[in-house]
This record gives sequence, C-alpha cells and structure tokens, in this order.
Amino acid sequence: MKRLIATLVILAGLGGLVAWLAPPRADLVEFLPPGRTPASAFLFRELQSGAATTLLLAAIEGAPREELARLSRETAAGLRASGRFAFVGDGSLNLSEAEQTLLFRYRYLLSPETRTEAFTAGALRPRLEALLDGLRSAASPLLARFGFADPTGAFLGLAASWLGESRVETSDGAWFAASGAPRALLVARGQGAGLDAEAQQAAMDTFRAAFAGANPGSARLLLSGPGVFAAAAAGQIKRDVEFVTLASAALLAAFLYWRFRSFLLLALVAVPLGAATVAGYAAAAAVFGSVHAIALAFGMTMLGVTVDYPILLLTLHRTGETLPQTAVRIWPTLRLAAVAAAAGLVAMLGSGLPGLVQIGVFAGVGLLAGAATTRWVLPHLLPEGAKITARPLPSLAFLRGRRVLAIAALVVAGAILAITGGPPWQRDLAALSPIPAGQQALDAELRGQLGAPDVRSLFVIGPAASEAEVLSRSEALAEAMQPLVQRGLLSGADLPSRYLPSPDLQRLRQAALPQRTALEAAMGEASAGLPFRSTAFAPFFAAVDESRNLPPLGVRDLSEAAPTIAARLSPLLTRHGDTVWGIAPATGVGNALALEAAASALAVPGVMFLDVKLEMERLLAEYSRSTMLWALAGVALVLALLVAGLRGFRRGLAVAAPIAGAVLVTLSVLALAGEAISLFHLAALLLLAGLAIDYSLFIAQNGPNASSHGLPEDDRLGAVLTCAIATLLTFGMLSLCETPVLHGIGLTVAVGVVAAFLLACAMLPKHGR
Amino acid sequence: MRRRLFLALPALLPPSVARAQDDALTRLMRALSEVRERRSRFTEEKSIPELDLPLPNEGTLLWIAPDRLEKHTRWPIDERLEVSGGRLVYERADRNLRREFALSEQPEMQALVEAIRGTLAGDIGTLRRHYEVAFDGSPDGIWRLVLTPLSLRVRGAVQRITVTGEGAELRGVDTEGSNGSSRMRITPAP
Repeated sequence: MKRLIATLVILAGLGGLVAWLAPPRADLVEFLPPGRTPASAFLFRELQSGAATTLLLAAIEGAPREELARLSRETAAGLRASGRFAFVGDGSLNLSEAEQTLLFRYRYLLSPETRTEAFTAGALRPRLEALLDGLRSAASPLLARFGFADPTGAFLGLAASWLGESRVETSDGAWFAASGAPRALLVARGQGAGLDAEAQQAAMDTFRAAFAGANPGSARLLLSGPGVFAAAAAGQIKRDVEFVTLASAALLAAFLYWRFRSFLLLALVAVPLGAATVAGYAAAAAVFGSVHAIALAFGMTMLGVTVDYPILLLTLHRTGETLPQTAVRIWPTLRLAAVAAAAGLVAMLGSGLPGLVQIGVFAGVGLLAGAATTRWVLPHLLPEGAKITARPLPSLAFLRGRRVLAIAALVVAGAILAITGGPPWQRDLAALSPIPAGQQALDAELRGQLGAPDVRSLFVIGPAASEAEVLSRSEALAEAMQPLVQRGLLSGADLPSRYLPSPDLQRLRQAALPQRTALEAAMGEASAGLPFRSTAFAPFFAAVDESRNLPPLGVRDLSEAAPTIAARLSPLLTRHGDTVWGIAPATGVGNALALEAAASALAVPGVMFLDVKLEMERLLAEYSRSTMLWALAGVALVLALLVAGLRGFRRGLAVAAPIAGAVLVTLSVLALAGEAISLFHLAALLLLAGLAIDYSLFIAQNGPNASSHGLPEDDRLGAVLTCAIATLLTFGMLSLCETPVLHGIGLTVAVGVVAAFLLACAMLPKHGR
Repeated sequence: MRRRLFLALPALLPPSVARAQDDALTRLMRALSEVRERRSRFTEEKSIPELDLPLPNEGTLLWIAPDRLEKHTRWPIDERLEVSGGRLVYERADRNLRREFALSEQPEMQALVEAIRGTLAGDIGTLRRHYEVAFDGSPDGIWRLVLTPLSLRVRGAVQRITVTGEGAELRGVDTEGSNGSSRMRITPAP
C-alpha cells in the first residue's frame, strides 16, 4: 500500500514539475502549419503574431446618433490618453499641426505630381486659374492658407489621397456605418509590431475601460480583430479542455468504482495513466518546447486507453497466480496491442502538421510508457492479500458468433457510403477554427463598413535588406499591376509606397525641381493677366529651393513626427532580424484564382502574390495527401505487426477484420451526420484502429498463448467491455466539445469504439475452441 | 481708433446703461427669432492680400428656422452651401461635386455659420457659446453685433465677424481674417 501511494505521489510531483517547466499553451500559433514558401511562411507568421494582430475594430450601437457620436469621441479620447495605441481612428481623424508642418515641408518629395513638366508655364497656368477659382469659392480660407506656398496643390492632393478615400460616413466627429441601424465605428492599432495573447487581452481591456469611462448607458460596445479572435479561441479551447478533463475523469472514476467497488483499483488504474501522461507530456515538451492545450486534451483522452491495461491485468488475473505472473502471461498480447496502437499514430507523425505531430508524439510515447508501467511496475504495487472482484456486466454472449449480424451491419454501412458518396471532405481550414461563427460574421461586417481590407489577397514584398528596398519594389509593383487593374482583376492595393516614396524616387523628384530663376520666369509667364501680386508666390519659390536640398524622408522620420501616416504605413512593413518584408493588401478582388495567375505572370523581382484562403486550402490538401499516405503506411505496419505477432496471416486478418469493419461503420455514421471530414478525423480513425486492436486481440480466441488465458469467455468479454465503456466515456465527452477539431475526433472515436467492440464479438467463431 | 473705443464702450458705461444694452439685445433677438423664413440677395467682396483686386461674387441666401441656412452663390461660379443642424453640404454643380461634412470638423466654417445662423435664429445662447458678443445700436433702428471667436484656433483664422442690420433685417456680414477679409451686403429678395 505504501509503495502504491509513494508511486502516485512521485507521479504527481513529476507531473507538476513538467507542467511547471513547460506550461501548456492555448494560442493557435504553433498548432497551425508553417507556410510552403518563405513568403507564405512570413505571411502566416504575420497573420498570427505580426502587426495585423494589433488591429482592433469596434462598433458602438444601441443609442441615438448624437449619443453614439459622443461615446465614440470620448472612447477615442480615452484610448489616446492610455498610450497603449499607436493609432486611434474615430472620424476626428485629422493631421496634427506638427504632422501637417512636416508633410507640408516634404510635399514636393512626397507628391507623385513632382515632375519637370509640372513646373513649366503651360502646366502652371491652369493651376493658377484653379487657385483663383478656389479663392472665389467657399473653400477660400483653406486655399488662402496653403495656395500661395503651394500653387500646384501638391499638399492638398496628398492629404486627400491619404485621408480622403474612406468610405465611412463621418458625422459629428464620429464614423458611422453607411446603412442599417445607427452604429459608430472606431479603429485602433496597438503599439509595437505584434502582440502576444496577453498584450492583446490588455489592449481589449483598455478599450472596454475607455468605453465604460464614457458613461455608455444602454449603448453596447462590439469588438473584433485578430486579438479578439485569438482570445475567443484560447478561451474556447481552455473551456473545452477543462470540461473534457474533469468530466471524463469523473465519469471514468465513477464507472470503474461501480464496476469494481474498490478505491484501490482506482489508485492502481491511475498509475499507468499518470505515468503515460507524464512521459508523453515530457516527450512532447522536449521535442517542441511547449505543449499545446489541444494536444494535451486530445493526448490525455487518447491515453485513456492506458486505463485498459491495468483493467485487463487485474481482471485476467487467475486464482493461484501472483500478479507478476499474470503480467508475464498477458504481456505478449498486451505488448502487441500497445505497439500496434502506437503504430497507428504513424500517420499523425507523418502528417507534418505541427499540431498533429505533437499529439502523435504525446500519445505514442504515453501509450508505450503506460504498457511498460503495467508490465513492470504495477504488479508490484498491489498490497498483499488485496482482492479485487468485478461486478458482473450484462452478458454479451448472445452476440457471440453472430456473423450474419456483423455482415449485415457492414453491408448497410457500405450501402450508406455508396449512396451518400461518403462524408464530404473539409477543404476550408476556417471551418476548423474554434472562433464562434457569430464573431467571424461580426468581423466581416465591421471590415466591410470601415472599408478595412480583409487581409486575404495580398502582395508580399521581400525579403529585402532595408525599408528603402521594400519601398522601391513596391513602386515597381505599383506600375506593373496597372494592367491588372485595367482588366478589373483588382481595384487597387494598399502599397507601402503610397504613404512614403522610396529615397531613390524622392531624389528623382528633387532632381526634377526647377532652379529659382527658371521657376520665377515660368510663374511670371503663367500668371500674366491674373490678379496675383508679384510677391504673392515668394513662399512657393522658397519652398522649392528648400525641397531641393532636403534629405529624403525615411520611415523613422515618419514614425517620429507623423503618427497618422506612420500608422497607415507601419502595418505594411515588418522587420525580422536583418530582413524587411512588406505587404500590399489587394482591394476589390473578384476572382482570386485569376488574379493569382495574372499576378504570378508579372514577375516583379522580390514580389509574390498570395491569397491566404487559396494558400490555406492548398496546404490543407497537401497535408491531407501526406496524412493519407502515412495512414496507408500505418495500416500496412499494423497488419504486419499483427501477422508477425500472431504468427499467421489468417489470424492476423481475423483480428484486423473487426477493425476494418469499425472504420467502415464510422465513416457511414459520419456521412449520415453530415460531418465534413478533415485530416483530424482521418487521424482519429487511425487512433480508433489502434484502440480496436486491443479489443480484437483480447476477445479473439486465437491470440498468442490464448489457451493459457484460460478464463471463461464471459470474463474476457467483460474485461474488454469494461475497457470499451471507459473509452466511450472519454471520447463521448470529447464529441460534446465546441472546438471543431476536438468534436470531430471525439465523435469519430466514440462511434468507432462501439462498432469495433460489437463487431469483434459478433465475428468470434460460433463455438469456443 | 474710433472702432476700438466703440468696442470698449460697453465696459466703460455705468451698469444701468449696460443693462439697457442687454435689454435692447434681448429685444432684438426676440424680433429676429420671430421671422421664421427669409429669402435675401447678397453681394460679397473678398480681399486677399496676395491679390491686386478684390474678388466679387453674388447670390441668394435662404433661412428657414430653426437651423437651416443656405448660401447659393450664382456668380461668377455656381456654388451652394447648405447647413442644417450639424451637417454641412457643399455643392458645385459645374464640377459635379457634392461633399458632406460635420460642421464641427470645419471650425473656421463653423465660426462663420454660427455667427449668421445664431443671429437669424435670435439665439443669443449659441452666439455667446462661440463668441464674445458686443452689441450697439437700437433693436428698432440700425444695430451692430461684433463677434470675436472664443476659440484660439478659430481666432487664428478669423479674428472678428461684424453683423449689421436694421430692425429685424440683416444688412451685412463683414469678416476679418489673417488670410484676407470679406464684406457681404444683404438685401431682401423681391
């Protein structure tokens, strides 16, 4: 007894230690695949942890317009005061005085209008006439302020192109959705290049606090954005994992207690399970650095199988035999079952999908550790004289040898598969996302109303050595994509060079600026007959002179002195160590496939077109293909193991038949349930096969040393039934999860376990040996 | 010099005279607020320091109580400004241009609009919220309101707006700003 308690205490301590050394993580980042190319790898990293994650979209609704406008203004003021946000957009978006001064000073370097021919008398004349016309109009205060220093309108043109293209309706200093019930809109971008889950949570809390600080009354705040998504997903996974762990542990314990009336048995069962969990967790943490919560939840449930081992050991224990002797006797079968189940995980390891590989390592190592513990440790822990007797289960002997029933079930399953064409294949990775559909819909709606591009189709620029190089390539792209815009494949792209021209281009523009005498002569000619005083344009001449000698404006200058423009530019530029990447989200994309074909034909050096959805689908297809291949390899391996372990081809097939049947039945049930299968289901089928091997092996009369089991068949059936019910309880819980991945796996295995057990019974020969 | 003295006058007067001026202003405001709709013509001259000549223009004004004001310039360009509540609509038919703003986004424009609208509405509260208000003259005869913007930012662009009138009729709006000044003369439309 002491040894048992000591063992449990040691296991608990080890468990606590590994969990403390490598706590499980709930963000989806490392669970998702890396990209296929450097560009797509960059992009996925960006989407998961880059600047895109700092974006928060918000809506305020449920109050009259004026009240919403007030709430929007005050919330925005609170956000700005918090200092957590690099940029807050709320309709009061205006260039600050200092920002205006900087951009005004650099107007001729920034403006695409700066060309030699723009400063000839012929080109200046219509500008001056337009200026005069503007001075007559109601806009005269604005033009009187800027027009004489900038008669070509370079600055006002820039301001309009930076700020004016918003589709959002502005009223009372707030943005409003163009249609539907009144809804004020806000955008905020967090500080820094990317946010981890904690910082995202803090940003959201700040937002909610700023809203609450504005006395919202009955109005509601709706938040969306990658950070909100990540938090929702992490929360969902955490809830599911806690629910599954607690509920299945409680159910399993209750069932085993009911069956054996012994707390001692519960303690014994906990030993291999605990050893398997600690070993699996430690192995996964050692290989991957950390363990994902999904891998933990799924791995734990899978390791529920190891509960079978002590149950089998204890129930197959014969009178007059010591427990170590029993362990030696059943070891060949137990070993074969454990190795075959672990072999079934080969497909997970081979899938290449980080999350699945993690689960495979966790469960594989755990299974073998659980079996080894049952063989070498457990038998020595049973206190002297302890006796465990199982309460009889309802006899299933009537099922025995009902091959007709088994065949009928398989025929029905086959027919269902033939008629429905099998379960549909899940191509969309988004469907596997744990983010609630309502939240995804809100995000799409807010992006639409704010005109914020959904980062779906974009050009990736890089890797480049400097920001300047990215900007130059962005300029090359701007020119190269014009034909695509004309063909209507896209309406445009949010290019980094739109906000800041490359230093090279700025120098070209400086070179295009005229000398003072030439400019004065041209202006003199252009203003002939117009009522401008001769001194009116002195500020213009001085500005052109100054512009010629300005050092080109860089990214750093912008971020220091022009926060509004820097906030538009910074999400488009990312530095990773020594390399710089840029993105240019495409807008108005109709047919992503056609655009992709045309864009790849552009061949702008260092620029790649990527459609995130297409790329994800291809990735998924690739992973599915490799998982499928590895699954076939796994099937072959398991078969080979069975044939070798049972020393006979026919015996091996007889054990494999119920397993194959169980897979068939499971697929037909999934098809009937309308569940689209993903590679997670595929992996679950393999897991199911591994579990079913246990039942098939232990039920089958013709196992190795079968004669020496020497127990009445009902006892053996009872032992396996106990195991099957235990498995059903844990995976049944999993199928109640909301996280699609967990739900899919749970459903698949739960259905399969029932089918496998019943088929294994029914396929037994009619009469015992 | 004379003008400065004139402006300082209310402060120099004994309290009883100041109260009399207040009463006169209140009466004027009431008289103005009783006119619910008016149509007028205007001629305007803008002087901008960088130009040799003033820029003339003319058109019509429409006021509908409580808060709708339309300024329709018909010559030399066709341009329409309409303010209603907090919204400002700018229209230029010849260029097919129509823009809508929140008045609060355009502080300089708002300063001008509230001066005319506040006077026409007879809303001394609105006027005092935006300006320091000086009044002289008589509510039944010729009067003058000198409005100095309270906001520093607005005062950077518009230093003073002077509204003149006779009885319940507006006669002129003069604006003095750092980038030029304008004089508007108003007559009732036939």
